[in-house]
Amino acid sequence: MTSTDNAIVVHDLHKHFRIRYRTHLKTRMLNLFKRQPPLQEFTALRNISFTVPRGQTVAVIGRNGSGKSTLLCLLAKVYRKTSGTIQMSAADGTAARVAPLLDLSAGFHLDLTGAENILFYGAVLGNTAREMRNCFDSIVEFAELGSKVDTHLRNWNEGARLRLGFSIAVHTNPDILLVDEVLAVGDEAFQAKCYAYIRKMQSLGKTIVFVTHDLRTVERVAQRVIWLNQGNVQMDGDVGEVLQAYRVFSAGAAFSDGPV
Amino acid sequence: MTPLTDTDPPITMRSELKELWKFRELLKMLVARELKVRYKNSALGFIWSIIPPLMQVLVFTFLLRNLLGVAAKNFSAYLLSGIIPWTFFSTGIQDASQSVVINYTMIRKIYLPREAIPLANVISNGVHFLLGWAVYFVAFLVIAPLFHGGIPILPTLVFFPFVVVMEALLVTGCALFVAALNVFYEDVKFILQTVFNLAFFIMPVLYPSDQIYYTSSLVQKHPWIYTLYMLNPIAAFINAFRHFILQPIGPSAFNQSPRLLGKPALPFDWTTFGGACLITLFIAWGGYAYFNYRKWQFVERP
Repeated sequence: MTSTDNAIVVHDLHKHFRIRYRTHLKTRMLNLFKRQPPLQEFTALRNISFTVPRGQTVAVIGRNGSGKSTLLCLLAKVYRKTSGTIQMSAADGTAARVAPLLDLSAGFHLDLTGAENILFYGAVLGNTAREMRNCFDSIVEFAELGSKVDTHLRNWNEGARLRLGFSIAVHTNPDILLVDEVLAVGDEAFQAKCYAYIRKMQSLGKTIVFVTHDLRTVERVAQRVIWLNQGNVQMDGDVGEVLQAYRVFSAGAAFSDGPV
Repeated sequence: MTPLTDTDPPITMRSELKELWKFRELLKMLVARELKVRYKNSALGFIWSIIPPLMQVLVFTFLLRNLLGVAAKNFSAYLLSGIIPWTFFSTGIQDASQSVVINYTMIRKIYLPREAIPLANVISNGVHFLLGWAVYFVAFLVIAPLFHGGIPILPTLVFFPFVVVMEALLVTGCALFVAALNVFYEDVKFILQTVFNLAFFIMPVLYPSDQIYYTSSLVQKHPWIYTLYMLNPIAAFINAFRHFILQPIGPSAFNQSPRLLGKPALPFDWTTFGGACLITLFIAWGGYAYFNYRKWQFVERP
């Protein structure tokens, strides 16, 4: 297998955050001569390495605070890594087009119409206005918007905004999809449609990394599971195997008091 | 396939500008969004960018003419040539200072070159700045001459675009600096309000800069203080705009003080102006460097 068959290569990835316990300038002045450092290092991810072959769908699971979202944010380039390597490449070896679905309505402006937001969000994801106009109709149709697309987002319900966000992101022809727990929103029918679309993306050979707490979704969609625990890869492999171990772990955690 | 690298490439001004260029489409969209959203729910729309400075000019012309006995012909032209660059300077920087915080939810979830956000703010304010000048020239070169007023076209008008560019660089540098700083210390907003309120009266907006030179006894004793004052880019640029588009008038036309009687208008000091331009370049570079140093800490501010 040549290296271009891998969509994502993560090697020895570390991410530290600095946490400030006293935020006000005044308190910091007062504590200037005390021993305790105002910034404390916190390791969110430690020594993470994995490789995702092109076309694979990977679920990332773990308890709250285990580093799932941090990992996704690093892949989406929202955070800058502390050390290590992240490489995401398209089939032709160039840099991959990544569609981050971390928060579907983050790129929207409520005082603009749906149509204006499509162009804007498209540009955020790296598309020109012309490219967006070409797939404009299918975006509107997929999001089930109809003539609503010419009204301000302010007047839309949450579901409609999310549908638009998902629709734009998947229509920008990404190589890699990063999904953070966003499919849990929207009504039953739209969710079903999203899953159908994800299957279509899978059949087109797109690589998908998603974070979720819903293990049934994992069973339905994923081909592989990475289980993060306190910033480490606890287990990485076959869906059934990892989920079984994770369920045992969760059941144990529910009955013990201290940190696991 | 590119070889694996252990760390991100270092942030240099060149790499960041290259990245920004890749996202120019987005920058265009952001500017369009700023321009659209500002007057989205107003009936008069774009006219609102012209009315406030015009009202300011009316009020100040009335006040200064009647209270201070300003006798200069075309006084409103002198006033407006200070107010237009001042408005760009103060609103441009104050708007941009809030821009990163306002778009915080977006940069927390989506990658984009973060300088695009304050830059879009500066550019949209720059559009209003140019619009202000357009109104100015139409008013004083086309409309006022019909009523036997107006200003002549001076050959120094060729320097006008240069000062526009310089001021844009100045505002950009300051905007990037305060936008980044404001993410960590929201005191910036209040400091800026105070500073700009004060500076409006200290800078030569309502009066030509010669007034400072002639009326302050401190400056009379130590002329270098005046040089220092004129090295301040915004004072230098307002002064330059006035000199390049308006005929110099002796300072006594603006103020009845006996100290000013018979004093000539100060000639344009090219050396100090050049110094102010150099300082501007440094501010633009420094502002961007500070923004680059800070930009990855925005979403993980300690």
